[in-house]
Amino acid sequence: MRLVTALVKPFKLDDVKEALTGLGLPGITITESKGFGRQRGHTEVYRGAEYTVEFVPKVRIEVLTDDDNARRVADTIVNAARTGQIGDGKVWISPVDTVIRVRTGEMDHDAI
Amino acid sequence: MSKGKKFVALSLMTFIALIIIGAAWGHHSPADTTGPAFTQLGNYPKTTTNVPVSQAGLNDLASSSAHLGVSINFTWTLITGFLVLFMQVGFAFLVTGLTRAKNAAHMMMMNIAAFAVALLAYYAVGFAFQFGGIAPIANLGGVSPLSGIFGHGSAGLIGTHGFFLQSGGTYDVGVMVLFLFEVVFMETAGYIIVGAIAERISFAGFLVAEVAIGAIVYPIYGNWLWGGGWMAHLGTSLHLGHGAVDFAGSGVVHATGGWAALALAMHLGPRIGKYNEDGSANAIPGHNIPYVVIGTLILIFGWMGFNPGSTLGATDLRIGLVAVNTLLAGCVGFVMAMGTTNYKYGKPDISMSCNGMLAGLVAITAPCAFVAPWAAVIIGAVAGVLVVYSVEFWDRRHIDDPCGAISVHGVNGAWGVLAVGLFADGTYGQGWNGAKLNSVHGVQGLFYGDAGQLVAQLFHVVIGFAWAWGAMWLIFAVVKRFVQIRVSPEVEIQGLDVPEFGVLAYPDFVLASTHVGGHASVTAASAKPAGSDSGRTS
Repeated sequence: MRLVTALVKPFKLDDVKEALTGLGLPGITITESKGFGRQRGHTEVYRGAEYTVEFVPKVRIEVLTDDDNARRVADTIVNAARTGQIGDGKVWISPVDTVIRVRTGEMDHDAI
Repeated sequence: MSKGKKFVALSLMTFIALIIIGAAWGHHSPADTTGPAFTQLGNYPKTTTNVPVSQAGLNDLASSSAHLGVSINFTWTLITGFLVLFMQVGFAFLVTGLTRAKNAAHMMMMNIAAFAVALLAYYAVGFAFQFGGIAPIANLGGVSPLSGIFGHGSAGLIGTHGFFLQSGGTYDVGVMVLFLFEVVFMETAGYIIVGAIAERISFAGFLVAEVAIGAIVYPIYGNWLWGGGWMAHLGTSLHLGHGAVDFAGSGVVHATGGWAALALAMHLGPRIGKYNEDGSANAIPGHNIPYVVIGTLILIFGWMGFNPGSTLGATDLRIGLVAVNTLLAGCVGFVMAMGTTNYKYGKPDISMSCNGMLAGLVAITAPCAFVAPWAAVIIGAVAGVLVVYSVEFWDRRHIDDPCGAISVHGVNGAWGVLAVGLFADGTYGQGWNGAKLNSVHGVQGLFYGDAGQLVAQLFHVVIGFAWAWGAMWLIFAVVKRFVQIRVSPEVEIQGLDVPEFGVLAYPDFVLASTHVGGHASVTAASAKPAGSDSGRTS
């Protein structure tokens, strides 16, 4: 089993969700998040004084999936979330040890 | 159908039935649906044709029509007073939006506490100091027990009737109407200071400031201008135009609040992190720009009471011009501030544009009854530009004013007072302050040939600054020996809400907990128990 985690621009969330739904995934989890990458934040002016927006808002998407599907899920997210501009985000895949469904106690593949 | 749906359907049917019944009933007895009946004299009952005209009847008619005029003025003054009261809501939104989320509960509490505490201080002594010796107000019925003033003739200094709305026989409806209208004006000066002292003043220190404003700083200066005091008499004593003229309080209310705020901001010092070692300023953006816009719109709405209500009567038909001038100046101020920030910083600054609207409103407050609409536009335009440069000016001097109170109310209040001395066109205010009773002209500014009026306005600006800034500075030079007026650095960094009041404005949106003795995990903001006295100040 794999966990696919993606950080994308918030306004791309709908595109990503639709693309993932097209794959027939059972579920995804999203979280509002903030951070910075290589470009750091950007500068604005407020009442005559400059300030840096240090943490840029992002949406964090998490998808639990089988080993076979993980790469396909990641590629789908990458394609749907790409604008070509700086700050498009990242996607990474990590191995998962155990998955348990809370309601039934089903384990691993049955629980995905 | 479910119970809920039945209820909705029944309600709808009842509603429709009522409309039908109402419509049918209405056709049976059409009265005067559009109003012309009231304007056609022929429709009045012609009872007088059967009775000879008598002196008693005429006296009765004159008396009841005079009573009606006073009733209209009472109603007008009360309702505009209620509008000014509503400005308190606008200001609470404005200053809370312009500050950080971690202090939002503290900001709101300051706003409502300012209202209650300053009102009681004004009731106890402030009102008497300000209006204890005012000349009778014809619009509100004329005769008044407010006839005690300390100081002779044209050199009145402080009123002496009306302490606790009681002393000197002031248990009187006319006095009550005047009190209601004037106390909400004092509240305006009272909440102005909140903007400049935000995010660092201790609640205890703040309450002292409010009592000082409500009991001393505002009322005494108000007496000199509006309560029959010496500055109103500059026209008769020094032959300076119509004396210092301030229609609704650019100087009396706004500049007083703004300069008092300056004195407090100087005592407190800037917020932690506002200024760098090289002297440059950091932006500390407010947490809720929609609040700022809502607050500003509520304030311009309330200003429709602030300025037109200052006639103390709807029988003075100048109210139409006053209202329009007020709107014009506010909107021009907004547009000019929007344009100026766009030119200087590359984008229109929302909070500064809102400040521009308020700056225009503040500036037109003194001249609104004395100038033509074109002059109101110019006054508002200057205010909208002035406020942007003024904010930068105070920032360079490291006077930290999170909401721009000093620039909006102090600087533009002074500009508004001066504007009377420039643009007043002589069509209103004949005999104002008892000056030039034989003159056919009202208040005239420099551009209409009366340089003396401008000198009187300069008196108002300079003495207004000296009094409001000086009195507040002195009071707090003493107060800060006894009261901790600024919270500790730890409290300021974590936010004032929990240390000062034990509650957060937005518990669900901040990684912090307000649980006391519960099982909540300890986070940054709750690392100090709510009961710790780190933020307590007394």
